[in-house]
Amino acid sequence: MNTQPQKLDPISLEIISNSLRSIADECFVALMRSAFSTNIKERNDHSIVIVDKSGRLVVQAAMTLPIHIASMGGMMKSVLSKYGSDIHEGDIFVANDPYVAGGTHLPDINYAMPLFVGGELAAFVCNIAHHADIGGMVPGSMAGGMTEIFQEGLRIPAVKLFSRGELQTDVMDILMLNVRVPEERKGDHNAQIASCKLGARRFQEVVDVHGLPKILATFDEIIARTALRMKAAISQIPDGTYEFEDFMDGDGVSTFDIPIHVSITVKGDKICVDFAGTSLQVRGNINTTLNAVQASVCYALIASLDADMPSNQGVLDVVEILAEPGTLLNSVFPAPVAARAHACQRVIDVVLGAISKALPEHVIAAANGANTTAVFSGNDPRNGKPYVYFETLGGGMGARAHKDGKDGVQVGITNTSNLPVESIEQEYPLRVIEYCFVEDSGGAGRQRGGMGLRRVLTPVGHECVFNGAGERFRYQPWGLFGGEAGKSGQFILRCGPNETRLDDKPNEVPVPQGTNIVVETPGAGGYGCAAERQADSVLLDQDSGKFSPTFIQKYYGHVKRET
Amino acid sequence: MSWIIGVDVGGTFTDFYATNSKNGTTHVWKTSSTPSNPADAILGGLDALCKHYDIPLAEIERLSHGTTVGTNALIQRTGSTVALITTKGFRDLLEIGRQTRPHMYDLQKDHPAPLVDREQRFELHERMDAAGQVVVEPTAEDIDAVVDQVIASGASACAIGFLFAFRNDAHEKLVAQALRKRAPEIVLSLSSEVQPEFREYERLSTTVLNAYLQPVMWGYLQTLEDGISDRAPDASLGINQSSGGLMSPKTSREFPIRTALSGPAAGAVGAGHVSMQTDRRNVITLDMGGTSADVALIRDFSVDLTFDRDVTGFPIRLPCVDVETVGAGGGSIAWFDRDGLLKVGPISAGAAPGPACYGRGGTKPTTTDANLLLGRLSSRGLLDGDMGLDPKLSIDAYKELADQLGFSVERTAHGALGIVVANMVRTIRMISVERGHDPRDFVLMPFGGAGPLHARDVAVSLGMREIVVPASPGIVCAQGLLVSDLKEAFVESRRFMVDEKGLAILARSLTSLKGAAEIWFDDENVPAENRQLQLVVDARYMGQNFELAVPVAEGNNLTADDLPTLDGLQANFCDAHEMAYGYSSIDDAIEVVNIRMSATAQLYRETTAQLEKTVDDTLQPRETRQVYFSDPENSFETNVYSRVDLRPGHTIHGPAIIEQLDTTTPIYPGDYAEVTPDGHLIIQIDPGAK
Repeated sequence: MNTQPQKLDPISLEIISNSLRSIADECFVALMRSAFSTNIKERNDHSIVIVDKSGRLVVQAAMTLPIHIASMGGMMKSVLSKYGSDIHEGDIFVANDPYVAGGTHLPDINYAMPLFVGGELAAFVCNIAHHADIGGMVPGSMAGGMTEIFQEGLRIPAVKLFSRGELQTDVMDILMLNVRVPEERKGDHNAQIASCKLGARRFQEVVDVHGLPKILATFDEIIARTALRMKAAISQIPDGTYEFEDFMDGDGVSTFDIPIHVSITVKGDKICVDFAGTSLQVRGNINTTLNAVQASVCYALIASLDADMPSNQGVLDVVEILAEPGTLLNSVFPAPVAARAHACQRVIDVVLGAISKALPEHVIAAANGANTTAVFSGNDPRNGKPYVYFETLGGGMGARAHKDGKDGVQVGITNTSNLPVESIEQEYPLRVIEYCFVEDSGGAGRQRGGMGLRRVLTPVGHECVFNGAGERFRYQPWGLFGGEAGKSGQFILRCGPNETRLDDKPNEVPVPQGTNIVVETPGAGGYGCAAERQADSVLLDQDSGKFSPTFIQKYYGHVKRET
Repeated sequence: MSWIIGVDVGGTFTDFYATNSKNGTTHVWKTSSTPSNPADAILGGLDALCKHYDIPLAEIERLSHGTTVGTNALIQRTGSTVALITTKGFRDLLEIGRQTRPHMYDLQKDHPAPLVDREQRFELHERMDAAGQVVVEPTAEDIDAVVDQVIASGASACAIGFLFAFRNDAHEKLVAQALRKRAPEIVLSLSSEVQPEFREYERLSTTVLNAYLQPVMWGYLQTLEDGISDRAPDASLGINQSSGGLMSPKTSREFPIRTALSGPAAGAVGAGHVSMQTDRRNVITLDMGGTSADVALIRDFSVDLTFDRDVTGFPIRLPCVDVETVGAGGGSIAWFDRDGLLKVGPISAGAAPGPACYGRGGTKPTTTDANLLLGRLSSRGLLDGDMGLDPKLSIDAYKELADQLGFSVERTAHGALGIVVANMVRTIRMISVERGHDPRDFVLMPFGGAGPLHARDVAVSLGMREIVVPASPGIVCAQGLLVSDLKEAFVESRRFMVDEKGLAILARSLTSLKGAAEIWFDDENVPAENRQLQLVVDARYMGQNFELAVPVAEGNNLTADDLPTLDGLQANFCDAHEMAYGYSSIDDAIEVVNIRMSATAQLYRETTAQLEKTVDDTLQPRETRQVYFSDPENSFETNVYSRVDLRPGHTIHGPAIIEQLDTTTPIYPGDYAEVTPDGHLIIQIDPGAK
């Protein structure tokens, strides 16, 4: 069979890439609908990509999360270097480890299935899903306080879960033995396997229609054209070096005030993003491997320069990223990484902060900058079985040049849904008492920052345990061009009138019956001086009750209601 | 009492389809729509239709109507002022939604602002738990206080949405009672009545949308009902719902949200009717107009339903015909994206300026321009020569793209159509392949002005071998209204395991749901023999969160004896899971979360007068012209036929073009088309076509 790539015209290219996107979207839906982990089924914490045989990212499902792209690219490097020619039709690879298998944290389990056409390797279909638990010290495998990756759960190097179509039951047995609630995790694995197999069938159908040479040519063309588009986007930034610095609150163990420094140098269509001046890696689990940083930087660039750009290898190839090994943003074994999303979100903030100096209209002020995590666990008094309820909450989105920031949304590299209150209470022995915006949390400004969220939960009929991870609980989300900072977040243990502020990354907090956990996520920064805010916007801030009269008086004293 | 009339109100035209239920005579009528008050066009058109065809008004038995009043009020945000009452602690729920952004990368795109401002959202200290047990009983003082707030807000409608009201509606009822007593002028929407199912945000959103539309729909229906009862006092009025069945005006006033997606539903039901007439059990429909195309799946002559939809950015959870829309229509514009890929749509030239060939100032290359310059459309235009089309302008419009590509204008236009087809194919895959159905087991049924033009390429891309073009592709929607059944859906949200105990719960629910259905049948005066019940459960493996609709039983008079055995129910679920996701596991526990009963009252009985069969095959083309089919490099000298000349039994071999008032159908070389006794066209695709 002729498998030489051929040159393609833009029409065929659009039609074939349309078919490839279709495959990714189908696999995405199949995985979502048949999975068992709440994270996947209700919150879409999963992704699909198709990569070429050398591991280059070609297309992704429309709802793929940027941070997952990094992970799948990383896994492919590991699979290809480890297995090389030992990759066969019917194999399915599984992996999660950040240090030997390109992952970003252990609960994200990567799958990759090679696609063969006429006996020759043509591509891989990959998926990734955040499992509700991957073992380790603490239920949910996401809590703070751990200092080594071994404590965070089961490490899976790239291994074959299927070999030539045969399930390797011994591998599956290891996976199942090391997680809590294995029967549910089995369902997640089944959903991921089914999604791979579906992708393989669909790919074969597309090959049948267009022939492999055209498809291989499409891979090359898509990547090459996206690279050109990315270069054009970068050229919008005036040549120069732009710096920005911010601090993370702490690592939840022993380090506080952790600097992240970026210096972005643009020359023509070239860009270098250098993180020199950033903290060394820390003992707590907010470290991140370089591929997650790459995903975050590319996210910030796409979002600020050309939001409709396809995200594939073409983007990654154009952006040069420098971060010394052993630092917070390029951690080395055995640094813990479970809460790497906090660092990734902060990377986005600092990149946008740097670009604000070049293209002020393109960026937003600092967002809730976090990925506020709350994990409740215990034994369900209704049936005696252990349960783990994990969620990440949104917060304020930074104000924009011409619009207020959005209230109570996920920002940056994540866009996962909340879990309906009526699902939580049916599935877990928990009650949600309040779910609303946090008063005065959006930073004042010509355009104000978005509001943080407040969620109050209490255990029903038993004592549960709370673990959490908050960021921007001390370092507030900054404003831009005179805009004020947004309010920071906090965790509170409330018993009647008594409120105790918990650590920002609390560990194993007992929550007796009758007490509440209050989660308040950060708001976001404002854009432009508060004195320039339009009178009708200020009145709306006041009438809606989102801001107190004191706040309005303090920042918007210039506005008087007409009587 | 013999005439039944279907009225479909579109953006441009209001279509009528009248049939005499005694002898099967049918008439079609079209009048310009009157968007400011759609009832004017309906009443005016009704008068004109009856006058023209000499139909005595007193002989009208029923008028079935699909209204866009609700949909338009949502698009234009011209609904009423709504107040909302929630459980204490949850007034922001409507605004938080699912805490997501509509676009992952775009920092400027937002979900639409909620329909109820924060200062109109009030809280009541009350609470139910997941089992429907009272946790906090609201006090009379608190209820009074919240009623005061609602009245003071000046709202004309009020939505009430409490947590777990789908399990226990007592608190919603209490508040409603208090409001009705003190402010009877405020119309109410209760989440426990609009859609009593779990997932509070989707239920709340649906309830708020309903409240938002209630006053608008009251006003509209009043005008319409008065106008009809002046003319035909004995005629009944049926309003189409998004699920593809009719409801009474009374139900429409209570639940106007059910009309929000009824537009595409009528087309899908009409297509279902054509599928019966042509005995094609499994059909994929393609309803393509000026700006977009709707696709739907018909299995066993009926349309699939879905429960999660979005209207103008707001989620609704209601039974809706499973229709997907894609931004591909006659006016869709071809353009180069930043990475140099050619795209077509979703931007559309619309009706003004319209495609370049209309000569109304449009210069952008559109789908219609491509069809014209490839000879597939006649320069005499669509509406029987009323409006000529200028191919020269189409060529000019495509010239720039062609030069950039280094292709001929024809090859460029051909490529643009290929992209339009790819977009539609992708959407059809969503409703077929993603739901576990193989399009090759279906026939394609195109309608709308532009559907038949592209059907052949769509069919081939999906491996489909047969196309059915309805006799009047432009009025399939009006026809669908006419044949629609009266329909009502009942649901109980009950979460239980599928085991012997679960079966007992199911039997109890069957009895209570059937009781509710019977009250409804009686209210609507449905004779016993026309009653049909269907019981479906939404089920999932224990631990999953998405449910599959699993049919349990159906019949004229369901009883517990009609329920399947435990094994049977498990097998039904596993089959559905296997079909949808490609695997199932008989050992895993299954749980039910909703039990649904759909009640259907058959209103229409087929009495079609069949067309006369042709005796001798002397079909003459009206003209010939050069047309490009699969090959963009070579055109064919092609016979052009008029659909009015076609008689049952006629066979037309491609290459050919068939023109009619409301559409154009190309027959590709190697394909042939036959005319059915009902006047539909069945195209057999050349088995070698790729």
